[in-house]
Amino acid sequence: MRTLYFKMSRRGIVLKEVSMNDISRPINKLDTYGKTSGSIEYIGDMKVEGALHARTLRSTMARARIREIRFPEIPDGYYIIDRNDVPGRNRVKIIFDDMPVFAEEEVRYIGEPILMVVGEDRGVIREIVEGIKVEYEPLVPEFDYVKSVVHYDYEKGNADEYFAGDKRIVNGEYRTGYQEHIYLEPQGIIGIFEDGKSTVIGSMQCPYYIKNAVVQAMGLEPDKVRIQQAATGGAFGGKEEFPSLIGCQVAVASMKTGRPVRLIYDRVEDIESTTKRHPSLIKFQAAIDGDNNISAMRVHVSLDSGAYIGLSGVVLQRAMIAASGVYTIDNLSVSGDVYETNTVPNGAFRGFGAPQMFFAIEMFINHIAKELGEDNLAFRKRHLARQGDATSTGGKFRDPIIMNEMIEKVMEISGYREKVMEYSKPGDFRGIGMSWFLHGCGFTGSGEQKHIKGVVRLQKNKDDTVTVLAANTEMGQGAFTTLRKIAAGILEIPVDRVIYNNPDTDLVPDSGPTVASRTIMVVGGLIARAALKLKEQWIDGKEILVEERYRQPDYVEWDDETLTGDAYPAYSWGVNVAEVEVDRATYEVTVKKLWGVYDVGKAIDERIIIGQIEGGLLQGVAYGTIEVMDAKDGKLRQRNVTDYIIPTACDSAPVESVIMDNPFPLGPYGAKGAGELPLVGGAPAVALAIENAIDRNVMKIPATPEYIMELLENDRD
Amino acid sequence: MVRSFIPGTYEEALGLLDENKMILMAGGTDLMVKKRNWAGLSPLFDRDVLFISELAELKYIRKSGGFLHIGSMTTLEDILVHKQIPEILKVAVRLMASPGIRHIATIGGNIGNASPAGDSLPVLYILDAKIVIDGKGTERMVPIEEFIVGPGKTVLADREMIKEIVINDVRFDKLHYCKIGGRKSDAISKVSFAGGISYRKGRIEEFRCAFGAVAPTVVRSRSLEASMKGLGTEGIESVRNEVKHGYNELIRPIDDQRSTAVYRKKVCMNILDEFFDKAGDSK
Amino acid sequence: MTEIKFVLNGENVTIDVDPTKRLLDVLREDFGLTGVKEGCGEGECGACSVLVDNEIVSSCLMPVGNAIGKDIVTIDGFSKTERYRVIHGAYEDEGAVQCGFCIPGMVIATESLLNKNPNPTEEEIRDALSGNLCRCTGYNMIVTAVLRAAERGRGLW
Repeated sequence: MRTLYFKMSRRGIVLKEVSMNDISRPINKLDTYGKTSGSIEYIGDMKVEGALHARTLRSTMARARIREIRFPEIPDGYYIIDRNDVPGRNRVKIIFDDMPVFAEEEVRYIGEPILMVVGEDRGVIREIVEGIKVEYEPLVPEFDYVKSVVHYDYEKGNADEYFAGDKRIVNGEYRTGYQEHIYLEPQGIIGIFEDGKSTVIGSMQCPYYIKNAVVQAMGLEPDKVRIQQAATGGAFGGKEEFPSLIGCQVAVASMKTGRPVRLIYDRVEDIESTTKRHPSLIKFQAAIDGDNNISAMRVHVSLDSGAYIGLSGVVLQRAMIAASGVYTIDNLSVSGDVYETNTVPNGAFRGFGAPQMFFAIEMFINHIAKELGEDNLAFRKRHLARQGDATSTGGKFRDPIIMNEMIEKVMEISGYREKVMEYSKPGDFRGIGMSWFLHGCGFTGSGEQKHIKGVVRLQKNKDDTVTVLAANTEMGQGAFTTLRKIAAGILEIPVDRVIYNNPDTDLVPDSGPTVASRTIMVVGGLIARAALKLKEQWIDGKEILVEERYRQPDYVEWDDETLTGDAYPAYSWGVNVAEVEVDRATYEVTVKKLWGVYDVGKAIDERIIIGQIEGGLLQGVAYGTIEVMDAKDGKLRQRNVTDYIIPTACDSAPVESVIMDNPFPLGPYGAKGAGELPLVGGAPAVALAIENAIDRNVMKIPATPEYIMELLENDRD
Repeated sequence: MVRSFIPGTYEEALGLLDENKMILMAGGTDLMVKKRNWAGLSPLFDRDVLFISELAELKYIRKSGGFLHIGSMTTLEDILVHKQIPEILKVAVRLMASPGIRHIATIGGNIGNASPAGDSLPVLYILDAKIVIDGKGTERMVPIEEFIVGPGKTVLADREMIKEIVINDVRFDKLHYCKIGGRKSDAISKVSFAGGISYRKGRIEEFRCAFGAVAPTVVRSRSLEASMKGLGTEGIESVRNEVKHGYNELIRPIDDQRSTAVYRKKVCMNILDEFFDKAGDSK
Repeated sequence: MTEIKFVLNGENVTIDVDPTKRLLDVLREDFGLTGVKEGCGEGECGACSVLVDNEIVSSCLMPVGNAIGKDIVTIDGFSKTERYRVIHGAYEDEGAVQCGFCIPGMVIATESLLNKNPNPTEEEIRDALSGNLCRCTGYNMIVTAVLRAAERGRGLW
């Protein structure tokens, strides 16, 4: 019988008292009843008077010119919405504005939206969609890493010097595959146009991203665009930038038709045409000195962006910045390219480039140790970063790093040392593996200061309740509860006297997107400062409004051109151990148990953090083992949840987690980022465990039974 | 628009079936996905639909002589909990579908769907299942290996339906069931295997095995099985390679979005090895 | 169009509808019961789970023609019961709810299990939930919540 072991007290308390001294103590989340009773309305449940349905007609070619579109007879009350109806700019505002709202002359991926059919009856819409004939002139598509559209590089120290001459060099080449979010609630959005104002309601992470996109596509003034978040059924990055595309589409459609327009994706459509994690190819070279230490490393990262760049440049940056993992390598030469291919565009997914890199670097460092005949634990420890060390980009690890303590802890609770010896015996198909990882909290470099410039307001009401006015979204991660706890703790009022509503851009300032593990640290930090201000000015019965704006800590210096300096103001750290058993006959991997020890500064609510840990870790482990998605000639082969496999309750393993206490002075109550970190360590831990079990090097993920069989069988020759 | 018929009795159903070419709606767990339309719209049926899953006359499990008679509309859940059902069939059912599907999916529907990856099929093959077909005024019985002729293809003609499944109430001394999917539960098989052995005086009396998802239809070879009859431990070892080679010729897996031919073949041989080990182990 | 009669959340209902229409669509659109969700439309995710004669069924797979005479309970109706209160309390106290989209299905699966097996083992719970996908929690806290509900609800099931 497997045991569920959880270090901290999990039992939530019903009283909603929060004490500043005990912020970590779990409280019951404030939005549970609506969810267990099914009464909370997600976008697909909302009834909007007079709304029309919309359905997207998509490209069936990976790359082609549209020669002609022939339409059947369109009955009254039915509309075709296409690029000609976009009043503003036909580009979706993301970091790189290359994606059109509706395709123009050329289509660049199978599934690219060409137009939308809108009307009252879905059966009629279907007939119209089936009746539309698109004539294509095929062009030659590209599917390999050939066309580089973004290139970055940075240097630390002088890597070339260490590669010169007669040096021992170790090489490694690692691949990672797609990962699809499979948030349980598919994408959905509604557009309403009334009195010259465009309103968009939907499942989203970033209301202001959508606002900026709709302003651009509609050519409207900002006060004529309003975005409202509906309850969001999971996101994981998949609703970071993608909803900006469909937000623009329904905004345009509702303006043209004069009626609200409702666009709800079905699961196959969602899988086929929305963003995914970038597949990657990562190449390393390590120069080894006379003491068997790594003196220099050369790294190249290739990412497949799909047909449009969008956020890919930032994903590339994060992957590149993580090139030395948790290790201090004095000399680095890191470069990266985003390659455009004629496949569905890729985008944000929890980790944002770090899961790819941490898989690669953790495997590589272990492979180097193997090749040198070094004990892998000792080898890794020698290179482990210490407080004060220079980061990969020449910034500084200013804050205490407690990794040694965390490593000892995870080895103790997992029995790692004894098991790794035991499982290394030939013929033993059990394995144990340990990954070390970090995650930079907040936006890379000067993003917070230059682009986001977050603002938060606290509105004290006459009845002495306080409304937090921020644009951050609850998507299951507990922001509703944690952000309220922060305010309540400082103001010393009960949590249920703090109000936080789903953001509406007409009512809340832009506190920045709900991404990049910034919500608690950055936005919570702003809320904390605002709360302190409000506390000082507090007068019972009086209405007061305070505002707080983001100010970058003075010590953060970052050069966008050379990618040097402090890439992040803070880092969260983690260690994972995975124990597996590989079936000799079927090569299937059973994950027996997982352990994690994490430094997120301070847990604003321990149980919410544990929830992030358990969910994120399983996503990371599955990314490393069972989540298989590949494309053939630009068409995804796994297009439904039957074929794209995510874990069920029978696939998850018991998780034992420990949250360390290492408060970060600039975070609210000492908190750092925690949303993405838990996923990052999952794949390398399980891949290293599989290596230990089968005694072969794992060079790519997902490490499927088919791949494991190959590794075991090919050796026989 | 297609018409739907919801007969109140089995007689009525047969009568309706005889009049028209219809699509048979059992639990709907395969059909409703195959024919699905956009949300809110009726599925895309191209001919009239006959609803048969609620016909009480087709829901039963009866023992008679050395045989088990299972009404075609018996749900997978009922099969899972019924005392008389052989253990190996229960194992297959539990692994093949989630509770939300088991409560409405029927054994008749599963067989009629004839998926090459159908998990109940290898078990039914080694239990010598016979399909009782009713329609056009007559009843006939067809062994399952003649009933299913290709992926999704059966000998069921228009105006016919599956009435009953008859299986041998054979008790094996040793059982081996394997299902390899993409995860531990609720997955379509890459490979499935059902095997059973019974002994008499220390020698093999019955040796049966079948592979699913590795050929257009389930792979079972009575001739290879016959070559195992009467063998003791040494005898089993001496024919192992030859018999494995025989199955190797019959197994013709493909590459698809779930797995590769090379993997499927290797795993089949590995499982067969495990099965042989079990057979030779005198305990 | 056929007249279909069944019991829905304790009340006798009759609806004139195409019998091949998915029960999911009939519940959500004809009866306005939006507690039942569509997560995949292929019977894999369990977000559409309802109770049919006390047993969990994926309503996206069931044609409404098969619902004749059945006793159908959706989360909208189940949430008015004492058993729901116990299940809700356990899920809340164990922190098992994140984005919530899978949760109505999980609650239905919990009821379907405890109704048959009031004292399940962890393995039995996982099997009972095997048709309900969750992407947020990693499942362990949900499994604990079901154990807790079984403990607290002694006598109810």
